[in-house]
Amino acid sequence: MGAAALAVSWWGWLESIGPMHGWAMATAAVVAAGCATVGSLLVVRRLSLLGDAISHAVLPGIVVAVLLGGRPGGPLVLLGAVVAALLTVGLTQLFHRQAGLAEDAGVGVAFTTLFAIGVLLVTVSGSRIDLDPGCILYGILELVPFDTVPVLGYELPRAFFSAAIVLLVVSVGLWLSWRWQLFTAFDADAARAAGVPTTAVTVGLLVGVSLATVAGFEAVGAILVVAMLVVPAAAAELLVQRLSQVVLLAVALAVTGAVAGYLAAWRFDTSAAGMMAVVLGLEYGVAVLVAPQEGLLARAAARLSYAWRVRCEDRLAALWRAEEAGLPVAGGLSAGPPLQWLRLQGRIEPVGTGYRLTPRGRAEGELIVRSHRLWETWLGQHANLPVDHLHPPAEWIEHHLGARLRQRIEQDLGRDVRDPHGSEIPPERPA
Amino acid sequence: MMPMLLLAVLLPYNTLVVAGGVAAVGCAAGVVGTLSVLRRRALVGDAAAHATLVGVAMALLVTGQRSLAVLLAGGLVSAIAALVLLVLIRRFTRTRDDAATAVVLSVSFGLGIVLISGMVARGVPGSAGLERFLLGHTAALTIGDATLLGIVSTLAVACVWLGLKEATMVAFDPAFAAAAGWPATAIDLTLVTLVAVMVVVGLPAAGAVLVTALVVIPPVAARQWTDRIVPMLIIAGGIGLVCGLAGVVISSLATRLSTGPVVVLVAAGCFVVSLVIAPRRGLLARWWDRPAAVPTADQQRLEQR
Repeated sequence: MGAAALAVSWWGWLESIGPMHGWAMATAAVVAAGCATVGSLLVVRRLSLLGDAISHAVLPGIVVAVLLGGRPGGPLVLLGAVVAALLTVGLTQLFHRQAGLAEDAGVGVAFTTLFAIGVLLVTVSGSRIDLDPGCILYGILELVPFDTVPVLGYELPRAFFSAAIVLLVVSVGLWLSWRWQLFTAFDADAARAAGVPTTAVTVGLLVGVSLATVAGFEAVGAILVVAMLVVPAAAAELLVQRLSQVVLLAVALAVTGAVAGYLAAWRFDTSAAGMMAVVLGLEYGVAVLVAPQEGLLARAAARLSYAWRVRCEDRLAALWRAEEAGLPVAGGLSAGPPLQWLRLQGRIEPVGTGYRLTPRGRAEGELIVRSHRLWETWLGQHANLPVDHLHPPAEWIEHHLGARLRQRIEQDLGRDVRDPHGSEIPPERPA
Repeated sequence: MMPMLLLAVLLPYNTLVVAGGVAAVGCAAGVVGTLSVLRRRALVGDAAAHATLVGVAMALLVTGQRSLAVLLAGGLVSAIAALVLLVLIRRFTRTRDDAATAVVLSVSFGLGIVLISGMVARGVPGSAGLERFLLGHTAALTIGDATLLGIVSTLAVACVWLGLKEATMVAFDPAFAAAAGWPATAIDLTLVTLVAVMVVVGLPAAGAVLVTALVVIPPVAARQWTDRIVPMLIIAGGIGLVCGLAGVVISSLATRLSTGPVVVLVAAGCFVVSLVIAPRRGLLARWWDRPAAVPTADQQRLEQR
């Protein structure tokens, strides 16, 4: 009911907001897609901080281009930004090779210096350019629809048009150089040895990053470009394995984040660009939780299921030992959840007030006890441990020994051995 | 020294106050940054700087005051929270260091912008223009602010001085420090917290991007001159101090020059000069006397930590 009302009210204002917000959202989505495409490669190649650096360091390039008469979003500004970005990378490499600086320190020196130059240029040139460092840092997505250019007879927002061109360029570029990018990303040395022009591949990637950055500048601002470059890719990398899947998923996450962020910002009356970064951060958080194998939930589930298996197997082993000793069936065992589960699984059956093993449960319990006693005996023979130290390791490893390992240990021990406590080691029975 | 003193006499009171505050921050940032650069955490300060925005906004929202101390306290809390988050991401996911830094940096910055824009839209008093906090507002430093900066900077330097042995050990060989029974994680966290403190304190003096420069550039320049940590700390602190003073003085002489970028450019100048003329490691020295350029075993051992 509440959800329906919410959906109606959202739809209501979506209708009421009209094409202006549609264009703003579309621009954000296109920017996000372009950033996520090149960002995936940055993240995989451990160059994420270069994204941060480039997004700051393009400022002087843009300012110089504007001073030379370039229009914001025009080709001259794009060129200036690309030059500044390559300068950052070149300086970083120079510091790394010539001065032996660690790469992160080199990046830190290069981009802060270039950014300072950019800020100074803006303040010194004053009224000659209408660039506001604040607007470069934070973006003004809300104003995007009002600045249009005619394209094939349609009036398109200029920011949307340039972002779409950039998206086209980086996707086609990535498509054409895919095998080289893949090879270089995973083993640059082998790629170079195999004749891949790795320097050109890297420079191409960085040109793509600076294009995407500049396209994103006006829409979402410099720092949130970093969010679009890195966060979706980092999330995608947790969720899937293949690089092609990482790129596609990162683009999907980025576009979703951009649209959802815009809507949420409208709903809560706050900054669209900021909200997009927050939504992307939430997506990353969800990825950390639900990632297969290494996600927090998957790990917790694996741990829980392991603990449960150990509990159940310990119960089976205890019942088997009770039978071996001829004790009254299952005396002292309370009917906890593991016993209920074992009963459901047909490993034990109720008898009187307690439980006894079914044939299947007996076979399994016997294997656990066999593993336990084999390990105690082997440790006693080889590890020179006192007898009272043998039980804890065996109690742990009894859940992990397989048939082949048990067989090898038995061969190693020789015939007719008893365990250190004098109990007989049950034989392996064919299943 | 004489020209400096002369300037001090000639400069207006306001400029002196600002120069004192910025120089103190520059010195302490250089000292703390040395350990952080040696630990290969040069850009952690960047993440901390951007994360302060959340705390600054929250501080204004909760207390309703816009005094520097309150905002800085809030910023410090969120900067430390962000660094803890960074450590947790490293510990519990397979996201690598660089990506983790960028994620924390950009998302926390976005959250800060969301908070501030929301506050502005709802007319919370004092929230207008709060996002400019990250750009720095050096010229507006009062004598009280400068004193605060001075005290915190002195404390930070004192912390490094007291824990120098431990910090050096962890900076150069964390695995060995841990194996030798030192509380390596605790020392590491203390170092990271110190970086956060310096970044937060430096924010009003230089702005977010430029405080990163104060943490990175003086140590990197100092590294060119020496292979030993104590001289490196002293040189880095000295470069930070001089850059702070010179930057403020230069920007006060010219109209329209904002202080933060000038400070950074002075620091960058120091770095370039060091890169060229430093004995042994400098480009000139290497060009002059090629065999002297071979202390690479030493150098690499230092750098590869």
